[in-house]
Amino acid sequence: MDRRAGWRLWLPLGLMLLFLLLPFYWMVLTSLKDRTELLNTPNPWWVFHPSINSFVDLLTQTQYPRWFLNTLYVSVGATALSIVVSYCAAFAIVRLKFKGARALSTAIFFSYVVPPAILFIPLAEVLVKLGWFNHLWALIPIYATFLVPFCTWLLIGFLRSIPRELEEAALVDGASWPRIMIKVILPLSVPGLISATIFSFTLSWNEYLYALIYMFSSDNKTITVGLTTELMRGDVFQWGQLMAGSLLGTLPVVLVYFFFVEYYVAGMSGALKD
Amino acid sequence: MSDFNRRELLQMTAAGALAVGAGARPALAADYKPMFDVEKGASLQLLRWTGFIDQDDKQWKINTDAFTKATGVPVTIQEVSWTEIQAKSGLAAQIGSGPDVIMGFYDDPFIYPDKLVDVSDVCEYLEKKYGGFYDVAKSYGYDTENKRWIGLPMGGPGAAVTYRESWLKEAGFDSFPKDFDGLLKAARALKKINHPIGLALGHAVGDGNTWCHTLLWGFGGKQVDEDNKVAIDSKETREALKYAKALYETMIPGTASWLDVNNNQAFLAGQISMTINGISIWYTAKQKFPDMFPDIRTAPQPIGPVGHATNFNLFSQSFIFKYSKYPNAAKEYLRFMCEREQMDPWVTGMVGYVTPALKGYADLPIWTKAPEITPYRDVLKDNHPDGFAGTPGRAAATALNDFVIVNMFADACAHGSSPEDAAKSAAAKLKSIYGS
Repeated sequence: MDRRAGWRLWLPLGLMLLFLLLPFYWMVLTSLKDRTELLNTPNPWWVFHPSINSFVDLLTQTQYPRWFLNTLYVSVGATALSIVVSYCAAFAIVRLKFKGARALSTAIFFSYVVPPAILFIPLAEVLVKLGWFNHLWALIPIYATFLVPFCTWLLIGFLRSIPRELEEAALVDGASWPRIMIKVILPLSVPGLISATIFSFTLSWNEYLYALIYMFSSDNKTITVGLTTELMRGDVFQWGQLMAGSLLGTLPVVLVYFFFVEYYVAGMSGALKD
Repeated sequence: MSDFNRRELLQMTAAGALAVGAGARPALAADYKPMFDVEKGASLQLLRWTGFIDQDDKQWKINTDAFTKATGVPVTIQEVSWTEIQAKSGLAAQIGSGPDVIMGFYDDPFIYPDKLVDVSDVCEYLEKKYGGFYDVAKSYGYDTENKRWIGLPMGGPGAAVTYRESWLKEAGFDSFPKDFDGLLKAARALKKINHPIGLALGHAVGDGNTWCHTLLWGFGGKQVDEDNKVAIDSKETREALKYAKALYETMIPGTASWLDVNNNQAFLAGQISMTINGISIWYTAKQKFPDMFPDIRTAPQPIGPVGHATNFNLFSQSFIFKYSKYPNAAKEYLRFMCEREQMDPWVTGMVGYVTPALKGYADLPIWTKAPEITPYRDVLKDNHPDGFAGTPGRAAATALNDFVIVNMFADACAHGSSPEDAAKSAAAKLKSIYGS
């Protein structure tokens, strides 16, 4: 690679990295500053007296561990439910040739673009009728309402990239459709499923509006709601704890991406071929 | 300087907690005579804003536990950020389900008056027992059209001047000025010695609205007249805007984007010498900034040409939705929480952050425990409601939510509009809201 080509590669990459990592750097800085340094520092881009007090206070003086577990429970549940439903839906649309399948796939995707701010009142009425208000587990099917459409669309794209000859061969061998779905297509769909899983998990983990509106008691708070209701008190913000909480809250998502990023890219490229 | 220290504060809070929660309360439970016929098997859900000071929530919970002990009615408390209360209460009103009791802000009860339980009996009882409500409290809770109370006024997280005494003296002032002219002179003098003042002029729900409304009313300006006809484009408004522009020029740069949190931070960082705020700055300094704390003083907001205080404060009231299965239990709960046995430790615990709506609580010992707390005792005396001089309701709430008054001041101070143009622009916006 000559010098010019190197610049072309590294300059945009460097700018991109700066843009993406700056918020994390700021979160780390703020979470490690003591209260005096938070307000007054000769150089806001550095920590002169690092302290882990914000982390200790967050974990010992707030219900953060509980919020964390709540978020994990809901995110894992919503992701699992959405992936199962989406895979079944995507398989049916792509492989079972029925009339209106393409229109249905488009309609599913369009349902994803309806913003939650519009949906939350009608959805609330449904929840009241079902008696699901203020039940933490209720967030699992609620989150599925926005996860399933996108995951289905993503998996439709991925399943279309798998050759039909495989299932035709299985059919000739006498396999039933459920068997084909589970034994033949599912193993080949792993990259797409991982991609959809990462996407669902991230969205569930960061969700705020539904968790705020539909949950009532303090025991049911998720990280996003807990941080804003407990650490932002009117005009006094606990910046150190807020950033410590946000930082710890990003770790599961970072870990998931770290281990599965290659599958994620493969899954997304499969979807984009559609 | 006051000798009121942290130890005493903790002792007072603990004493309140003990009195209410642990030791003294069982006697009350044994003798408890409810005012209302509490429904059998009742349980309540309360939605309230997260306390601005942590002792607020703690003491409220202690008082609530005492209520449960006395009546057998369990109460679940949900706390959300104060800016999110309206969304949750709006949803509850819309779907007819949710918390039994909501502690809201400003005109909230007037957005859905037909959906609220009549709490006249509780309010009249408390008025009689504790010397009546301040006028502003009445305007946020009493439905004049139907002649009934739809919200029980709780109190206002009040705003007063918070300043650094040493810097003010260095600027040539022995005490904080009492009128607008004096404020401007002091602000200019403070800027000269490199200790500028700072007032939030962004969309700060509390701090931005507070001082902008106070200035507007202090010059005699008003959003609408008594018949809800838009009256903002007036000579008085333009005078207020000219004054605000002059005051803005003495401020630290950047206040046009400040939210409620920013003036607290700037003050505690030593970047500004004065701001208008709740008692949270003083309280935070007391807990966490011992070097700065002895130099912090508070004072009532200065008075404008109208000749009397024209305060505007956050204000909270409680209301009960008709969908509640236990309206009597809810009313009993609110009554209980407003009785002196509960109100005293609550207000004491949060060092007077919320000034009670009942005049009788002006004699609570906390108000004179430190001179810095005293100004907050009187903030509701000359307090107008939002939408003054019109009636509270959806239009007034919309104007407040849309920051029409704050935006007008920001236009004149920071965005290059002339006072005339800023007032005209605000008038146009208000006409679209009020439809007049």
